[in-house]
Amino acid sequence: MFGRIRTIAGNTVREAIRNKVLYALVFFAVLLIGVGVLLSTLSYVEQERIIQDVGLSAIRLFGALIAIFLGVGLIHKEVDRRTIYTIVTKSVARWEFLLGKYLGLVATVWMQVVVMSAAFLAVSWLTGAPIGVTHLYALLLSAGELALLVAIATFFSAFTTPMLASFFTGGFYVVGHLTRDLKQLGSQSDVESVKQVAGLLYRILPDLESFNLTIQALHELPVAPAEVWWPLAYGALYVIVVLTLASLVFHRKDFR
Amino acid sequence: MTKRRPEVVRVEGLAKDFRPGLGLRAKRVLDGITFSVHENEIFGFVGPNGAGKTTTLKILMGLIRPSGGSARILGHDIRESRFREHVGFLPEVSYFYDYLTGIEFLDFYARLSNVPRAKRPDRIATLLGWVGLSHAGDARLRTYSKGMLQRIGIAQALIHDPQVVFLDEPMSGLDPLGRKEIRDLILRLRGDGKTVFMNTHILSDVEMVCDRVAIIVKGKIRYEGRIEDFIASDNQRADVVLARVPAELPARLEDDLGAELRPHGDQLEARVHEKAINDVLRAALAAGADVLSVTPVRVSLESIFLSAVGEPEARGEVR
Repeated sequence: MFGRIRTIAGNTVREAIRNKVLYALVFFAVLLIGVGVLLSTLSYVEQERIIQDVGLSAIRLFGALIAIFLGVGLIHKEVDRRTIYTIVTKSVARWEFLLGKYLGLVATVWMQVVVMSAAFLAVSWLTGAPIGVTHLYALLLSAGELALLVAIATFFSAFTTPMLASFFTGGFYVVGHLTRDLKQLGSQSDVESVKQVAGLLYRILPDLESFNLTIQALHELPVAPAEVWWPLAYGALYVIVVLTLASLVFHRKDFR
Repeated sequence: MTKRRPEVVRVEGLAKDFRPGLGLRAKRVLDGITFSVHENEIFGFVGPNGAGKTTTLKILMGLIRPSGGSARILGHDIRESRFREHVGFLPEVSYFYDYLTGIEFLDFYARLSNVPRAKRPDRIATLLGWVGLSHAGDARLRTYSKGMLQRIGIAQALIHDPQVVFLDEPMSGLDPLGRKEIRDLILRLRGDGKTVFMNTHILSDVEMVCDRVAIIVKGKIRYEGRIEDFIASDNQRADVVLARVPAELPARLEDDLGAELRPHGDQLEARVHEKAINDVLRAALAAGADVLSVTPVRVSLESIFLSAVGEPEARGEVR
């Protein structure tokens, strides 16, 4: 079982890294990280913070673009090109295929995060901006957030077209960063049903802001261990639930 | 002889409805399909395009779910997955990962099929030899011709040495030489004790390699059995050539005895069913005509198929 999943994951990486758009996105991310140096010259104060703010934001934004771009066609392309026919008719369960594709794409996205992080750390080091463990935590949580985003893209890719899947996944990404505001607004409402709906949405939708340690990194604020392991545990659980749902949908799918 | 062999595939009352769109009425594309495939035979599943061949095969392979009926492969319900390690499958049209070389491609499927690591290199080399691609094992699939892709596709179906192999239009798009190579490969599989289920609409290939056939038309089985029986069953004809034919005889032969008449100068050729030969000869002699010859006609599978299917439905769809 693990061997089959690893084989599918390995092939997914091999196919994904052949995509030229991937390199274009990484190129622009690295470019933006470098451009942070120019932007910082517009200010007389907090130049290092501007460099690092731009850098961390670029990693998160372009990481999300890569995850969505590659994730939404992940399963659909296999079905559309019928490559899946020769795979799931062997001793490969559909959930194994789905999990292998997911893990392969997460590995691909993380490789890009490593490249972008290296550019970020290099720029920080060259400009004398401080680099502490909080920066590493921020990068780690960005990788965790992207793994969650890939799971959502995989879920939509299992049953809809890349266009719709990118729309839905993009929507989840945006809303996922607003769920805390949604909860806050709900709690301030006088209407009980609004409070309940807002609370329910907060529980269902991903809380992607919990993966955001940018402020703490920029200001070198102390980070409690729970601020790191809790989002990672939450993300892992969310990924398991989303992939389980995707497997259930995928298991019933007719490949016509 | 084949009837005594155990059943490898058993399909009973298989049905499939497709809904063309949301809110639209479902269309039945398979209607009570029943047939069986016996061990170590080459079984041809024949029908015009759109008859339901690929849909049936996809159901057997677990790619789509049936709306009704049941099917078993190697004694297992098709909803199970355990038996798949004993089954090989070549889809009709398949895109393969074209960035892989032939060897990498087969290694990928060998891993998925749980072929032990130590056995993979030998198995891959053997299969590349079988399908005539030993020279192209290190070339990427994007450089392969259509025939080469079809052959490497068959190799992936055989990578785990399955007991039964399902091939969907294996000769489609191949030149005559390529078709012969695939035919030889299929015959070799039978020689090695495998069972082969082959979807096809190329009747000449069916005649050459298949032991038994099932003919499917518009989602229903029209015939299942040995090809010889199918050709012989109620289909043998003879050409009777007559001379000095009286004027009233052609109408009697045509209307009463079902003869197809073709005048040739002062002679008349009557193609008659074998059961009507004696009646035709008696009628001709009684009318004073001379019987010049009686020649049995070798009826091809294709002509019978066309008449069984209805020529307008099949025209241009079978070769």
